[in-house]
Amino acid sequence: MDSVQQETDHIYKQHFGKMVACLLYSSRDIDPETAEDIVQDSFSAALTSWRSQGIPANPVAWMYKVCRNKALNIIKRNNRLEPFSDQAAGSMEIRFSDSALDDHQLKLLFACAHPDLSPKTQVVITLKYVLNLKVEAIAKVLGMSIDGVDKLLVRARQKIKTEKIILEEPRAHALKERLPTVHKIIYLTFNEGYKSSGGNEILREELCEEALLLNRELLDKNLGNKETSALHALMLFNSARLKSRFSESGELLDLENQDRSLWNQDLISLAHHFLTESQGETFSTYHLEAAIACLHCVADSFEQTDWKTIAGIYLRLLTDHPNPFVELNYAIALYYAGDKRTAFEILHALQRHAFLSRYYLLNMALGKFHYLEGDKAYARQFLNKAYLQTSAPKEKDFIQKMINKSEDF
Amino acid sequence: MERFMLIVREDLKRIGRLTTKERFAEGPDMLGWVKSLADSGNYIGGEPLAVKGRYVTQNEVLSDGPFIEAKEGISGYDIILAENLEQAVAIAQSCPMVMTGFAIREVRPIQPFPSKTDEENT
Repeated sequence: MDSVQQETDHIYKQHFGKMVACLLYSSRDIDPETAEDIVQDSFSAALTSWRSQGIPANPVAWMYKVCRNKALNIIKRNNRLEPFSDQAAGSMEIRFSDSALDDHQLKLLFACAHPDLSPKTQVVITLKYVLNLKVEAIAKVLGMSIDGVDKLLVRARQKIKTEKIILEEPRAHALKERLPTVHKIIYLTFNEGYKSSGGNEILREELCEEALLLNRELLDKNLGNKETSALHALMLFNSARLKSRFSESGELLDLENQDRSLWNQDLISLAHHFLTESQGETFSTYHLEAAIACLHCVADSFEQTDWKTIAGIYLRLLTDHPNPFVELNYAIALYYAGDKRTAFEILHALQRHAFLSRYYLLNMALGKFHYLEGDKAYARQFLNKAYLQTSAPKEKDFIQKMINKSEDF
Repeated sequence: MERFMLIVREDLKRIGRLTTKERFAEGPDMLGWVKSLADSGNYIGGEPLAVKGRYVTQNEVLSDGPFIEAKEGISGYDIILAENLEQAVAIAQSCPMVMTGFAIREVRPIQPFPSKTDEENT
């Protein structure tokens, strides 16, 4: 790779999304598709120009300038009927300054939280335009096909274009209204990064970091509330355990077998700080989930975990937000809390659920608990089902190990 | 957040010819979609419906109903939470069955009964 290629690749990685975001905010006449085209064009212009004339002293500034000029040309072309004043160009320049970039990112995040988009679309366009992920990467972290992400993006772009969604910078009161959706997007982004299934490890850890950074921005800019702090605590508690989830040889480890000495105590105490900050009149699902994560982090061992309280919190989550996936977690907590009968009742009832019956974690839980109860043959039936229900190699290995264990007598 | 029913409509005649196993093996995988809605707190529940049912009328005439011949009969439903109709539509559009053209979705807001205060106001 030559030095020009290296330099442009570097700038591409760091600035592509920011450049698109800047263009979107520089004018209402530019939609996401056009903005991406402009930035793409500018990069190919850079390659040609820098190869013949050398890399300029400030290549990033050069790129922004070229983007800006191309955008101005397009706006001029579109507004041929209206005279294009220098004043407009001037104000555009001010908004296009390098220093305000992070604000652009935050503004764009609020724009992505538009209430007329589906939650999945909100996450996909956030990953694309705010966090600057490529379509292949988005497909990987969300477990979607590339085609599926493309279709979703095409639909989102159409909607954005016809309804001028993303170009509207939310007004002050809208920021508050959209905060819950912004929380949800950050939460989902973190979760996608945290999930053990599929994809590139480094990429996914970066996603967790990005989610934390965005949330931190909300807190620093005083745009957040108590829920923002609770969400921050939740993400920090879980981040503290990131490194222990895989063994040295890269195998997936469940909570029971994780080396607790690897848990990051700095992150845990920081999380405690935000959990304290989050206390107030409101009590959101983030508060409840942070409380569960906290109880796991403070337990000295798997056995000494306060499963009773955890089960109680899950029950509370279920009362406000009925959801079969939370019910599964509730049953698991109940089992370890000692109420095995209710746990099995719930798990077996969930098997009749149209979707849960095909969910590998339900069959994993049933397999594991029947194994622990000593019914190895029955346990194997569930484990074999679970094995077929996931395609992630690490999860398959993990289940295979359990199957092997259930075959030893 | 309001509740919406996303009704699945597809060719019942065709489904009627399939075994249960075939019926559920052929469509796109829906678990990921359901899971993502559950993660975002938008999923409440849902089930497929069997093709054969009974049609009940005032005269107590029971029949198999029009179900089996219906080109776009109801074959399942999901109940979700969404901010507004627009978002519910966007969620329905992201359903794998809709994206692959396998089935269509009818989006209907669930109408809450009038509350006491509503009655007093009218």
